[in-house]
Amino acid sequence: MVLAGRIGRWLLFTALAVYMLLPVLAVALYAFATRWTAHVLPDGYTWEYWRAALDDQRLFAVVARTLGLAAAVTVLDVLLVVPAVYWQWVRNPRIRVLLELAAAIPFVLPFVVIAFGLLTLSGQIVPFLQGTVWLLGLGHAAIAFPFLYWAVDGAMAAANVPRLNEAAQTCGAAPLDILWRVVVPNIGPGIATGGMLVFATSFGEFALVQILVGNRFETISLYSLDLLSGTNANFGKLAVITCFTFVIVFAISAAAVHWNRGQATRLLHGGQPIEGRG
Amino acid sequence: MSSQPSARRAVAPESVAAEPLAHRLRRWLADWLPALPLLLVAFGMLILPVVALLAQSFQSDDGGLTLANWVATLASHNDQRAIGTSLAVGALCATIALLAGAPIAWFVSRMLPVRRATWLAVLNVAANFGGIGLAFAYVATLGAYGMVTLALNALSVPFGPPAPGSLGGLVIAYEYTNIPLFVLLTIPAMGILRPEWWEAAQTASATRLQFWRAIGLPILAPFLAAGWMLIFTWSIGLYGLPFALGAGSASSRVRLITLEIGDILQASISGQGRAAVMAMILLLIGAVSLVTYRELLRRALRWF
Amino acid sequence: MGGVSVRNVTKTFGAVYALDDISLDIAPGELLALLGSSGCGKTTLLRSVAGLEHPDQGQILIAGEDVTQAPTRTRPIGMVFQSYALFPNMTVRQNIAFPLAVRKQPAEQIAARVDELLALVHLTEQAERYPNQISGGQQQRAALARALAPAPQVLLLDEPLSALDALVRTQLRDEIRRVQQAVRITTLYVTHDQAEALAIADRVAVMKQGKIEQLARPSEIYESPSTPFSAAFVGNRNALELPVRGGRIRLGQVFDVAPTGMTSARALVFFRPEDVELLPNGRGQPARIEGKTFQGALTRLHLVVEADGQTARLYADVPSRSAGTLDTGSSVRIHVDPASVRAFPADV
Repeated sequence: MVLAGRIGRWLLFTALAVYMLLPVLAVALYAFATRWTAHVLPDGYTWEYWRAALDDQRLFAVVARTLGLAAAVTVLDVLLVVPAVYWQWVRNPRIRVLLELAAAIPFVLPFVVIAFGLLTLSGQIVPFLQGTVWLLGLGHAAIAFPFLYWAVDGAMAAANVPRLNEAAQTCGAAPLDILWRVVVPNIGPGIATGGMLVFATSFGEFALVQILVGNRFETISLYSLDLLSGTNANFGKLAVITCFTFVIVFAISAAAVHWNRGQATRLLHGGQPIEGRG
Repeated sequence: MSSQPSARRAVAPESVAAEPLAHRLRRWLADWLPALPLLLVAFGMLILPVVALLAQSFQSDDGGLTLANWVATLASHNDQRAIGTSLAVGALCATIALLAGAPIAWFVSRMLPVRRATWLAVLNVAANFGGIGLAFAYVATLGAYGMVTLALNALSVPFGPPAPGSLGGLVIAYEYTNIPLFVLLTIPAMGILRPEWWEAAQTASATRLQFWRAIGLPILAPFLAAGWMLIFTWSIGLYGLPFALGAGSASSRVRLITLEIGDILQASISGQGRAAVMAMILLLIGAVSLVTYRELLRRALRWF
Repeated sequence: MGGVSVRNVTKTFGAVYALDDISLDIAPGELLALLGSSGCGKTTLLRSVAGLEHPDQGQILIAGEDVTQAPTRTRPIGMVFQSYALFPNMTVRQNIAFPLAVRKQPAEQIAARVDELLALVHLTEQAERYPNQISGGQQQRAALARALAPAPQVLLLDEPLSALDALVRTQLRDEIRRVQQAVRITTLYVTHDQAEALAIADRVAVMKQGKIEQLARPSEIYESPSTPFSAAFVGNRNALELPVRGGRIRLGQVFDVAPTGMTSARALVFFRPEDVELLPNGRGQPARIEGKTFQGALTRLHLVVEADGQTARLYADVPSRSAGTLDTGSSVRIHVDPASVRAFPADV
């Protein structure tokens, strides 16, 4: 009986590993394949796509844009979220009510609806922002902030920020000082983990990009779509880009797990819901 | 948590009436200022657009108020099918994620630190690897000339994997992200089952099955249901992935609400009203999900 | 009711001997306390009897049957955990009924038995409450009732009182003893609190580093500890290391003893604070009071003695009524009856 359980567990995880790794393998092979239409493995291998990618100006611009946008969105979110959560812990708990409500929205409202709404709203209120990367950046910041919020919230809880704050006040420090010198150093891993998830969200996002700016700001996801189904379909180059994307996501995930010391990243409403104690 | 009283200045009698207001305003700002930028961005980018869409769903093409959009959408067979398919895909994906994800979450939560960290990294990667890249990975693996397809051909197996744009293809691709997402969401909840309860059940002569039926599953069930709810809603809302999967075969593509909205916006034809209605339907589904999710979690924790 | 026999049980975790060739017999109906500090093996021994740990060597018998290889589920035991381990999704009644429901007993029989147990532990009013709605002491009693429900041969308790407030602890300790004697069930009780062990047990096994240092009745362990560890651990004794000269150990006029078999150059000497007599009329050894600690009925004097070229610090417990006139800094004269002094060779 116990043996059957053990075999079952082994099967389950082997199947999972195969399911996860097979597509990655296929993509990797495509990045090196000359022709691959008949047999299980490619007919031949080449470095061509990689060489071409290094020379490709458009590709370079696309990657730079995507990384730059993601980095800017991450920085923006950190600047927005950290003070807000700090204040929520030390001064005004009612902030939490509003923030948790806002944080739930990107999980239950599809990004395409948010994009559509932003398109409509900006047309009515701020037409000059329409089609600009600024609107896109703000949109990304809004849909990705929950990750950072939960990570920072949890980190502040674990560090017992109210207590730290009281101690710092008795030492005569002002709020900004406390935030910068006492709180932030103690929640570093939380900011890092949350920040990385924000980065990953912006990096791979499609709906807002396509609907709000389209080809005016071509990101990796738009470019990939073009390579996948456009008139100049090029699976080799697409595979190279996808490998790159994969490496970025992998680095982020490994770092996030490492920073959390092997605990599961709190993706969602952690403190009370869906997290057990003990 | 006490608010510090502002310094009181000696005031001239005529400004006594104004002083309390300024005082209140100052106190209010002190309570809210550091959070205001985030709140403005969040509500401005997340709530206001939805309100705008709600208004638009009742607007006719020439700007007047009308219910025509709602009527047209709800009566349209195509749209009904899109809604039905989206709901079905969501439910199917959530159920598969639950059946596969719950045991995986259980085992991972019980692994030794090193093995657990490895699997968590793998799951994290898969959960974050979505959109167009994943669509390509699907095509590369299970598409017309995909690795597995070619392998099946070589082995003379009579059937092939579902086409990328088909329902089966969607589900398989969705699950690549959904199962890891479900696992990551529910692993913390697994920690709620303390080892002493299993030991106590053993000393009471219970078998493993009896333990799970009487204690384990009743305690975990609401958390698992909450996870189901989230994957359900998340799946319904996906856009980039199904768009890319169906990009090659526009005619035989599966009809989903999100894709319908995207089509209208891309083509820039009139019909924004209709798109707004469908957006509202998605909002409705989302709102119901959120309320249900919170209620499930409230119930889950009532014994703790 | 059967007894428990532990025969030459050894259990290692890596290089550490949690249990080192332990043998022990618990008579039917007896309450035996395993006493020791953390890491001594007492919990490991209890869990081995329960089947939650598996010894590397040796045998365990319950009611004459060898259960060493038997899974926990099949052993005729009931166990109370330190954290009570009540199932949070069940009411008190359902918790207590669980072992019976698992054995598929008929519903009326279960109901009757549960009512009986609720009355036994005085929890009838709380029967329909959930564990998170009742106090720690009440959870404790519910856990006890659940353990007793299937009328097991052996009751196992793993530090059941350590999570409770001091006042509740004493009350519950007596409750547990009352219930145990009412049901007359063989009981193994693990604790690190020596006062608890002395109060509750028929016999006490003092454990250290996987071995049993002394196994005897509480009064015997208290009066005549057989090892330095027992002496130090049980009874709050004064412990001094003194030189042995010509087979005699002496601390000025406090005491002068010549224990048999004292071959080492130094000795560990134990005597209880309440055995330190304050003498009037200039007899006895002068001692200076460094401090006083009020302990209720008794007051503890912190004394310093200079004698035979050494300085010794020791405690004396005197009735608080007579301690009023004794001030810090003043001097008293003390003496200890040689019969109250226990000495062991000091291993260098």
